[in-house]
Amino acid sequence: MDLTPRTSSDNAPLAPRKRNRKWKYVAMLAVVVTAGGFIVSQFLTSAIDFYCNVDEIGQRAGCGPNRRLRVQGTVEQDSLKSGMGSTTFVLMFNNQTIDVRYNGDPGGIFQECIPVVAHGQLVGDTFEANRIEVKHSNSYSEANPDRLAQSKAEQCSLLAG
Amino acid sequence: MNTETQTFKGVGTPATRLYGLMAIVALGWVFLGGLFFTPEDAVQGDAVRIMYVHVPTAWIAYLAFIVTGVASACWMIGKKHSMGFDRVAGASAEVGVLFMAMTLLSGSLWGRITWGTYWVWDPRLTTTAFLFVTYIGYLAVRGLGGTAQQRARRSSVIALLAVLEIPLVHFSVVLWRSLHQRATVLSPDGDIKMDGIMLFTLLFGVFGFSVLFAWLVSHRQRIMAMQDAQQTTAIDVAVAERLKEAQA
Repeated sequence: MDLTPRTSSDNAPLAPRKRNRKWKYVAMLAVVVTAGGFIVSQFLTSAIDFYCNVDEIGQRAGCGPNRRLRVQGTVEQDSLKSGMGSTTFVLMFNNQTIDVRYNGDPGGIFQECIPVVAHGQLVGDTFEANRIEVKHSNSYSEANPDRLAQSKAEQCSLLAG
Repeated sequence: MNTETQTFKGVGTPATRLYGLMAIVALGWVFLGGLFFTPEDAVQGDAVRIMYVHVPTAWIAYLAFIVTGVASACWMIGKKHSMGFDRVAGASAEVGVLFMAMTLLSGSLWGRITWGTYWVWDPRLTTTAFLFVTYIGYLAVRGLGGTAQQRARRSSVIALLAVLEIPLVHFSVVLWRSLHQRATVLSPDGDIKMDGIMLFTLLFGVFGFSVLFAWLVSHRQRIMAMQDAQQTTAIDVAVAERLKEAQA
């Protein structure tokens, strides 16, 4: 029995509409595949920059000068200085430190005793960063000025790795 | 035709009405608790309030994709290949994509406030974006046409492969060095570093979004059942018309 769609004036519009709907999903699939490829390529491109802890600078292969790095550590207490459009601070991890200079204001919740990831290059003994990302820990507690003041130094050393 | 119309009067049932009511109450608390009753975080300040939406929507998106995987497996394994499983799989994936979009959006806003950037190609963010795109692809494949059985067969294969991404997303912060913080509630050492009222509101959010998920999926899969029935009815009508023509 022939069950092909009707071509009468009543039923004719149904067939092209269904075909159009199918092409809509094909186009959606093409966009999805492109987006997937873009995501993977961006991830791989960003992974080119070695991700080093401060104590790995100059110790681990790839964590040296003359290449872009991502350096992770905690901003040392009383080391943060801002002025003349730049921010300098000392980054520490596992009792090792490195001086960091960043042109601008890091933004976010950047402050002393907070873990950060600095993107940039090692120039001499200073890490010249052009991007700072602030990490936040997985602990959440109520803001309490007294408790904060008492435990700041301790917290800073705990976060240092 | 009358019988069909009467059978599918609406998609609500007493159970879905109960889910809906529970979702409104629970999410009402999350809204009030998250904005007014919970304290500021010591480090993040008010930005922590985004967590009450971000974390539950992420968990429920995982749950939705797992439900899609399980329902797809049930469709594949079941001798009758019940289309009910396929509809639950599809409905759950749609709701999961919605929740995942909310996760990405809320996470991006949270990242801007705390990290200082909306987006980084960090392992957790990248794998989450990839998971999101995978399930949009899954939905596109479902819409490609063919019979309901064909749709169920091809989408169940994709669902069973896609669900394998979830452990990768969850453990990405452990497997790679990541800007994204590690798990707080589901931390491997079992030590939950969160104040009581914050944790309570967060878990209440998980409950509220879970009930909302159940409500949305039950409605959506019933709508899908109606669409499938409509298609079947259309074929029956076409067959009846042709038979009538042949007899004339």
